[in-house]
Amino acid sequence: MTAVLQVQDLQLKAAGRTLVQGLSFTVQPGERWCVIGRNAAGKSTLLRALAGLATGGASEQALRRTHAGQAHVAPIVYGARGTRRAYMPQSAQDRFDLTVREFIALQPSMALSAAQLQVRCAALGSALDIAPLLDRPITQLSGGERQRVGLAAVAAQEAPLWLLDEPVSFQDPAHQRMVAQWLRAQSYQASGLVPQVAMVMSAHDMTWVQSVATHLVAARADRRWVTGPIGDILDAQLLRDTFDCDWRRVGGVWMAA
Amino acid sequence: MQDMPPAPSYKPQIAIVCIAVGALGLGLALPWVGVHGVDMDVLQSLRAPRVAAGACVGALLALSGLALQVLLRNPLADPYVLGTSSGAAVGGIVALLLGGLMWLGAALGALAAGALLMLLARGAISTRADDASSRLILTGAMLAAVLGAVSTLLLTLTPDNRLRGAIFWLIGDLSGAELNWPACLFALLFIAAYLRYARAIDRLMLGSEAAHLLGEPVALLRTALMVLACIATALAVGMAGSIGFVGLVVPQALRLAGVRGTQHLAWMSALGGAALLVLADTLARSVAWPLELPVGAVMSLIGAPIFIWFLARKHDAVGR
Repeated sequence: MTAVLQVQDLQLKAAGRTLVQGLSFTVQPGERWCVIGRNAAGKSTLLRALAGLATGGASEQALRRTHAGQAHVAPIVYGARGTRRAYMPQSAQDRFDLTVREFIALQPSMALSAAQLQVRCAALGSALDIAPLLDRPITQLSGGERQRVGLAAVAAQEAPLWLLDEPVSFQDPAHQRMVAQWLRAQSYQASGLVPQVAMVMSAHDMTWVQSVATHLVAARADRRWVTGPIGDILDAQLLRDTFDCDWRRVGGVWMAA
Repeated sequence: MQDMPPAPSYKPQIAIVCIAVGALGLGLALPWVGVHGVDMDVLQSLRAPRVAAGACVGALLALSGLALQVLLRNPLADPYVLGTSSGAAVGGIVALLLGGLMWLGAALGALAAGALLMLLARGAISTRADDASSRLILTGAMLAAVLGAVSTLLLTLTPDNRLRGAIFWLIGDLSGAELNWPACLFALLFIAAYLRYARAIDRLMLGSEAAHLLGEPVALLRTALMVLACIATALAVGMAGSIGFVGLVVPQALRLAGVRGTQHLAWMSALGGAALLVLADTLARSVAWPLELPVGAVMSLIGAPIFIWFLARKHDAVGR
């Protein structure tokens, strides 16, 4: 199986502060990686770096070198099909009031016909509970609605790698569960032309993380980040080191004590 | 839940075409109404070129405004927000003082201001970062302030007998305008560029980073929009002085009327801008006949209240 994303010895900096050094992990198709950590630990910075966006630190230069093709260090390598990646920022910055339907129509690499778009929007509309919003301007949606529209936009790009910065931070419990189920289904099932989708996403709600993640990137407070399959690495010690508070297990799920 | 696709609405399109045809017709026909004893040939040779020039200037300004609104990600940007009109004023007055062609000086001044801005803010134009717009706007505003001061200083040097003409021209005036074929061709080229890259420009509206991640050549697109907008403004200013309001209000009104895609916004902006300016010019030279009012002032006087009414109505309709 070809890896979708390989991170080798990545260094992240933000505002002159080193967030992590020597971060390495490999993402395979169908895997769902969750990035967990305290505020300002570097979750968003990591996702921006993975998307190939400027992060205001050393990684930016490293990425530039990689893009120029003259790098001797290549901290981030995308798989064969994996140059295409869909990224959802933590908060949308909408200035023009396109409708949800028009917004989704702009996402695929090739423009869709009206009929194709209709099918696409209907499917996404029912899967993410945004069907009633399709003809509303994106500037008039609630935070949670806009976030689900953002997820629909990511899906419409049909990319093999999804990078989601806090995809459920504004969702109510029912919609958190809906999104979790939908994400699991997307990574298993054939989705358009892409057989299996790999995801890297950040989240704060550990209950939600445990319902979605197959793998974890834990941004430990001491800057020694831990990565691996969730079943292998998730324990009270890791959670304490990551979040600086105590945890207990209730009904098989870790909760902050 | 099998929803039918919503029937495409052609209402704004039809309205725009009707208004444009009406405005052009009115602009051409009005001089003949109630005017007697004037040589028809003179009217024809004066009126038709003026209406055509007005239409061309209006189209150029609206197209330029649309480009800057996308470039700055601000629906309230207009062709003069980045200092091009102040550059035109400086160029025009310098030409006047030196006894040269005022329109040429103005066009060159506008182009020079645009080029200077692109030099000063080149990082903010050819970038994928989303926070660049404010840098570009602020640089443009400062450039406009400096050039505005320079043109005011130059006006104090202008001899009194030329001052009146210079001020009228600064407000925006079509009385001496002639149709400029290169400008018309450029307007068509601008529309063609919009249509060709409509989807890319739509994606640019989502933000530079978003457009970049979707695979668009953001730096190239932004630079091209900037260059096209500067040339369009320079051509318009050269023909008729700094006529405000068209570039801001036409694309904005179309957006409020529900036209959101670049594909339709482009040609409808051009047509709408042409119609609005011809209409305003018809009023400007008819209302107080035989006195002629500056079209720039007439435009803002009628347009701004209508726009405010439109905004208020839209606000009520949304219900917030």
